[in-house]
Amino acid sequence: MTPYIIRRLLQLVLVLFGVTLITFSMLKLVPGDPAVALAGKGATNERIAFIRHQRGLDRPFYVQYYKYMGRLLHGDLGNSLYSGRPVKSLIWQAAPVTIQLAVAAVLIELLGIPLGVYSALRQYSFWDTTLTTAALIIWGIPVFVLGYFAMYIFGLKLNWLPIGGVGPTVLGIIPSSWESFKTLILPALTLGMIEVAYISYMQRASMLEVIRSDFIRTARAKGLSERQVIWGHGFKNAVIPVMTIAGIDLGALIGGAIITETVFNRPGIGQMIYLGINERDLAVIAGGVLFATFFFIFANLLVDLGYAWVDPRVRLGE
Amino acid sequence: MPQWDSTKPERDPYGSNLTQTPAVDARRTAEVVEGIVETGAKPLGLWADTWRRLKRNKMALVGLGIIIVFLSIGTVETIFYQAHWHVRSSADTRANNRLPGYLAPYDPNEVNYALTPVGIGAPPSWKHPFGTDFLGRDVLSRVLIATRIAMLVGIIAVAIAVTLGLLLGPISGYYGGAVDSVVMRIADIFFAFPYILFVLLIMSVLGAGFQNVFIAIGVLGWASFARIVRGQVLSVKSMEYVEAARAQGAADLRIIFRHVLPNSMAPVYVAVAMAIGGAIATEAALSYLGIGVQPPNSSWGLMISDSVEYLASGNWWWLLFPSLALVATVFGFISFGNGLRDATDPKLKE
Amino acid sequence: MADHLLEVKDLSTYFFTHAGVVKAVNGVSFTLDRNETIGIVGESGSGKTVAALSLMRLVPDPPGKVVEGSLMLGDRNLRTISDDEMRAVRGNDIAMIFQDPMTSLNPVMKIGKQIAEAVRLHQDKSKREAWQLAVDLLARVGIPDAAKRVDSYPFEFSGGMRQRAMIAMAISCNPDILIADEPTTALDVTIQAQIIEVVREMQAQFDSGVILITHDLGVIAEIADKVMVMYGGRTVEYGPVDEIFYNAHHPYTWGLLASLPRLDEVEKTRLTPIEGQPPDLLTLPSGCPFVGRCPYQRAPCRDDWPELEIVAEGHGVHCWIPVAERLPLRVELPHFKESVA
Repeated sequence: MTPYIIRRLLQLVLVLFGVTLITFSMLKLVPGDPAVALAGKGATNERIAFIRHQRGLDRPFYVQYYKYMGRLLHGDLGNSLYSGRPVKSLIWQAAPVTIQLAVAAVLIELLGIPLGVYSALRQYSFWDTTLTTAALIIWGIPVFVLGYFAMYIFGLKLNWLPIGGVGPTVLGIIPSSWESFKTLILPALTLGMIEVAYISYMQRASMLEVIRSDFIRTARAKGLSERQVIWGHGFKNAVIPVMTIAGIDLGALIGGAIITETVFNRPGIGQMIYLGINERDLAVIAGGVLFATFFFIFANLLVDLGYAWVDPRVRLGE
Repeated sequence: MPQWDSTKPERDPYGSNLTQTPAVDARRTAEVVEGIVETGAKPLGLWADTWRRLKRNKMALVGLGIIIVFLSIGTVETIFYQAHWHVRSSADTRANNRLPGYLAPYDPNEVNYALTPVGIGAPPSWKHPFGTDFLGRDVLSRVLIATRIAMLVGIIAVAIAVTLGLLLGPISGYYGGAVDSVVMRIADIFFAFPYILFVLLIMSVLGAGFQNVFIAIGVLGWASFARIVRGQVLSVKSMEYVEAARAQGAADLRIIFRHVLPNSMAPVYVAVAMAIGGAIATEAALSYLGIGVQPPNSSWGLMISDSVEYLASGNWWWLLFPSLALVATVFGFISFGNGLRDATDPKLKE
Repeated sequence: MADHLLEVKDLSTYFFTHAGVVKAVNGVSFTLDRNETIGIVGESGSGKTVAALSLMRLVPDPPGKVVEGSLMLGDRNLRTISDDEMRAVRGNDIAMIFQDPMTSLNPVMKIGKQIAEAVRLHQDKSKREAWQLAVDLLARVGIPDAAKRVDSYPFEFSGGMRQRAMIAMAISCNPDILIADEPTTALDVTIQAQIIEVVREMQAQFDSGVILITHDLGVIAEIADKVMVMYGGRTVEYGPVDEIFYNAHHPYTWGLLASLPRLDEVEKTRLTPIEGQPPDLLTLPSGCPFVGRCPYQRAPCRDDWPELEIVAEGHGVHCWIPVAERLPLRVELPHFKESVA
């Protein structure tokens, strides 16, 4: 396992560098001269030059990048061009909202596992056909479409659930009241439904594949009951790849929930980035993207390590 | 008898078996999931066999039908769409006495306040099967025109990605070593970003607009294709006919592009189908966020985001029709891609 | 009280697929006694594995089905006993080992656990006892350092060791019958001999009957007492091993024997394969499946299945060539030139 971990960590460092480099380069590539923007209207050329020099904007690329990395390592993501507040604190404020949604959505999507297994065991039956067709269709529905439909039906027409915002929480994540919880239901279900479709499809496929394996035949030949064969031998093998999908989803949703947050007006990281784009607030955009990306990278790392722990072939170094 | 599968051995609407997720696999799950797309290298000559297997998969056929319908609409629209990207106003059309440049019942950009006494638009009627929106524009026409944009985005963006991927992937796979490491590390970096955020980042740099959407999606997409092809190349390159070609003195590049690549294409086609679906969905999302297609051009995503403000007043049809078109199209590509994958999977028992 | 440990009569297993009915096993009969080894020989697709699976009631249904036949294990009819009873038979009275030990063992479960599972299923033992038994079994099949190895995973074993572990698992409950489906095919030649030795030892220890399925006549010669030759789902010939090797009566058997390279040949001759391809199981003729590849075929071969003909004690054959013609034909074949006709 150790060589695997080491390899993985090295790769991680490399990727982190690459990600920051790309993000930084994107910042630099945005048209417009930041010195001009900072200097304000009607500034003289001297003033602009002065600001450019003061901010180190006239240094070569690699120097600027080096400084940027330095600041990043200290957790300094710069300040919002729009509001002047440190991006770090904006993220600190927005992150719990997104994490709340991500966790809820992933919990819902885990329901896809039993659905997938059930479908695989009843292959060709009515339920299997229906579930798989539904899964395929729902998987393809873009989040905002599903979101608005849900909002329209449950929020506007039936008026059961609120259509946006967030409520008070415990620890920033757990809703602390029923009202607060209600704001979570629609967005989490919307996001979750699409993922459930995907997970159940994958789980079904994985299960079908495993059921046809030779070792399942051996297990039956030993005289094990069908239940023991499927759950003791089959499921354990079939669920591993799907669990890793769920884990990665959790990481991806930190950034990937931007659409849902926009639809349901939740002040999370996604919405923060979106507002940043509208205002061309580069610091916020970069900061948000970097945060979400780092989160995603670490989630992937944890999932890989988890996988290695569960699969003895990786753990013991095949 | 062991209770294996229930009931009758009838036709499985999805083909006789589904995807191959390796039961336990030490690769990253993103790779596993892509591995599902990667399985099976079927030489081009076996298309008849593939088609036969595809035919048994009803969902895939439905998907194919949808694709054909939308592609036709898109093509027709593109042919009739004259000259430049920009929209000409209706006044201009009438003034120059030319036919409007769209094949749609109405000029999709003709604003007609007469139909909208209170500026909300009319629900579906015989004259306007999909209704009209808040500016009195015919929704059906706008949906049809948006089809063109969706198809263009899907095809062009994926074409860019595939080209880049098919250049880098085989080279990386065939030469191995340092070249391979470098290319794959770069691919890793591309995979490290959550997709939508990366697209947004690039769009921030390029600016909003329809052409930039192609570029963003295209440039980001190379990594998936490169990885798929590389995987295929790795397994193909150790096969004997490659040895034979080398023994005959063929140059490396020739071997790669004449011998190895054509036999690695099956999973690429699958990936292309899925990617087009994904590209269309991404474009819709970008337009919805306001940084994709800009008004007065119409895109499904844009139509949906426009419709939202008016939802509360009960105008469901602006939301419904573009949504249906979008969902149907994405579903079509995904379903067909799935079917294609099952049909080209050599491990499938029949 | 039954005469034989296992008596199979007219076993037929068909697969009902979209493309048609595959008669994978078609009217196969044989018997097996304690301490006896029967070798089932044939090419891929001859039905040997399906026959074994039919015995265990492990044929996937759908699309497969045992449509006919009586399978008597002692006094019990394996076709009619309940599912629960059958499960008590599997692994306990009849055990099976499979061709590829890598894919036939659960990759994420320790070897010891897989063996102990079989033990605890059929015998009333505690976890600790079962685990200890697993260690003993591993040692008995010749795995060194068994006490440590019992905690390993399948991938940590070499091919030969994995097969030994499978054998250990199979014999864990002292089965009356051990079915070995191509146990040596996936292994190196040097390991093959060892595995066969293990099977032989286990048989001696438990007085079990062994059904050895293989396409390798060399293995048959090593360990089988009697042989059943299968082709296209049918038994074309069966008999004691010596009879089959020295007094074979069916052209297919001749072909198999002739295709064996021989060390004692004075002149160098080319290897003689059997002409043609294995049969398409969807379009089997109603007569002899070997028609089309048989150099001696005649009129009734395609449409009528020849009756059983006993040519020597315990040796039967299904062939339309009259005995009088067969013997002269056989003498011409290289393999038989030096043997007694």
